[in-house]
Amino acid sequence: MSLWHIAWSYLWNRKLTTVLTILSVALAAGMISAVLTLREETKKRFEEESQAFDLVVGAKGSPLQLVLSSVYFMDTPTGAILYSDYEKLKALPDVTAAFPIGLGDTVKGFRIVGTDKGLLSHRWTNAIGQEKAPFRMAEGRVFEKPMEAVLGSVVARKTGLKVGDSFTGTHGFTEGVAGSGHDHSNQPYTVVGLLAPSGTPMDRAAFCDLRSVWEVHGHHEHGDRHDDEAEEGHDHAAEATAGNERTEEDHLDDAAEEPADSTARGDQVTAILVQLNSPAARFPMRPYINKHFNAMAAVPTDEIQTLYNQLLGAAKTVLLTIGYLVVAISALSILIGLYLSILQRRRDLAIMRALGASAYEIVGAVLIEAFWVTLLGIGSGWILGRGLTFALGQYMTERFGMTINAFSYNAEEIGAFATIALVGLIAGIVPAWQAYRTDIARDLAEN
Amino acid sequence: MVVMEKCRRRLGPGVEFYCEAFRAPSGAQIALWGPSGCGKSTMLNLISGLLRPDSGVVRVDDVETQTLSEGQLDRFRGERVGHIFQTFNLLAPFTALQNVLLGMRFSDTVPQSEWKKRATHLLERVGLGHRVHSKPNTMSVGERQRVAIARALANKQKLVVADEPTGSLDPKSAKAVMDLLLELCSEEDVTLLLVTHDMGIAERLPERFDCTHLAREVTS
Repeated sequence: MSLWHIAWSYLWNRKLTTVLTILSVALAAGMISAVLTLREETKKRFEEESQAFDLVVGAKGSPLQLVLSSVYFMDTPTGAILYSDYEKLKALPDVTAAFPIGLGDTVKGFRIVGTDKGLLSHRWTNAIGQEKAPFRMAEGRVFEKPMEAVLGSVVARKTGLKVGDSFTGTHGFTEGVAGSGHDHSNQPYTVVGLLAPSGTPMDRAAFCDLRSVWEVHGHHEHGDRHDDEAEEGHDHAAEATAGNERTEEDHLDDAAEEPADSTARGDQVTAILVQLNSPAARFPMRPYINKHFNAMAAVPTDEIQTLYNQLLGAAKTVLLTIGYLVVAISALSILIGLYLSILQRRRDLAIMRALGASAYEIVGAVLIEAFWVTLLGIGSGWILGRGLTFALGQYMTERFGMTINAFSYNAEEIGAFATIALVGLIAGIVPAWQAYRTDIARDLAEN
Repeated sequence: MVVMEKCRRRLGPGVEFYCEAFRAPSGAQIALWGPSGCGKSTMLNLISGLLRPDSGVVRVDDVETQTLSEGQLDRFRGERVGHIFQTFNLLAPFTALQNVLLGMRFSDTVPQSEWKKRATHLLERVGLGHRVHSKPNTMSVGERQRVAIARALANKQKLVVADEPTGSLDPKSAKAVMDLLLELCSEEDVTLLLVTHDMGIAERLPERFDCTHLAREVTS
């Protein structure tokens, strides 16, 4: 009969207290595990996506907004720029690939992205040398002409659209809900292909030829008039005529006064996704574009890094602080639980000493109890954390098209678990010391 | 052989335990008799190594316990002395078998490979072969004391100290436990020192030691 068995028997003998203490450790470990895993995984995913393109070029405004809207389809765009800018940019010697992005409409709340079909064969190598190719056809083919569409996997699943079906876009974009503007019901798209799930924002978009967006909005420009004040694109005609001549100040003024019209029409695109012949080329290219184009260039990796450092870094600190406070409370509950248990069983400890157990063996048994509680707490916490991460991962996949690997590990998490284990053992020291000081004859006589 | 000579231990303000001389040959069965508070339990604790004398000699076979370090005293208790208490002092989370095994856990007298066999044999010997997997709280007081007797003999100890072993038992159970204890100690050639305030119990043992004057007042 080992000390481990003896310690376990005593824990089992007071099941309720043991389970409650284990639960408190599990809550702390689970929370910390979930925060760290989610943070690492989302960061990884964001960074992977941000590596897809070296630069994003769009209307002047917030660079982060430009990146979020054009690469992640998560925000409203900063505005529109001229198609001729795209052609000029494509011709620059350092540019190996450039894809125009035309936004404006949605289908059931998912972005319809007008682009060049070359985007659907885009591949890139990430920072650790892995080749990434998120566009893999599950069914059908790539669009060849205007009003043909290829749907991301989430769009296909959520809308129920299949190859051969048709749909119409709705003007405007509000994240997560169907477009709040009017339908382009007289200009339906035909689904010609479905993309395989990629765990990227591409799953949550419908892709079509840029000319489709122009046709829909060209028609709209000459035929309809928006009467919905809430919609994002509110006066296309004015934007279309002004587009080319606007200065940076105009854009800044607009940004301050009202949402920019980002709908790509006629001779416009919402953004350009650019791949350069070397990541190092971003540094001269960015100021060059800002100076020589009526547009703004943003480096996706920089913007995402800033987002993480400023916003999510602070959120992580807050959540981890709460997590470690729970660890402190758990440590206290281990200490109190074990201490009370030692007081209640001073007689048992005295009996063991009478049977020949050394003071060190008694201390060992008490520390092992603390170890069991901590270990089981961490184990349960790991399961809890993984469950939480998995559930939130499902939400992230649905909401942002971002795949979260709930079972990934990171050094910070292992370090956090080691810290919790250490804190648990430290919490066992006071009761162990109490046990060490057992006065055998007195404790046997008193009880 | 148990020897106590000029043994002194402070019990409290103005009170001390003092034993001029006590001798118990190997295999003896001696009742340490006297009224409550006379010092008989202190004498037992000094002999069994639960207490240390302030001065004097306590010798069990060839070991002078007052000279032992803390660790050696732990080992001495585990290997040489079997304890039986008035309130049985079985450990509640463990079964009868595990309680007896615990008697062997903290010393090396019995090889680990024989623990279970010996524990089962002893429980059968005390008439509890059918209750080896029962926990103390499901057993009668008489059964609990029989488990304690089995545990006291688990390490093949040559000295068993019993402090009022029948104090919590009804007369019928007390008689049965005393019969068993005396019989087993004779069988195993174990020295038995039994503390009691009950002359009836004391008279069942071949020898008695009067403890009446062991606790005495002193001027400091």
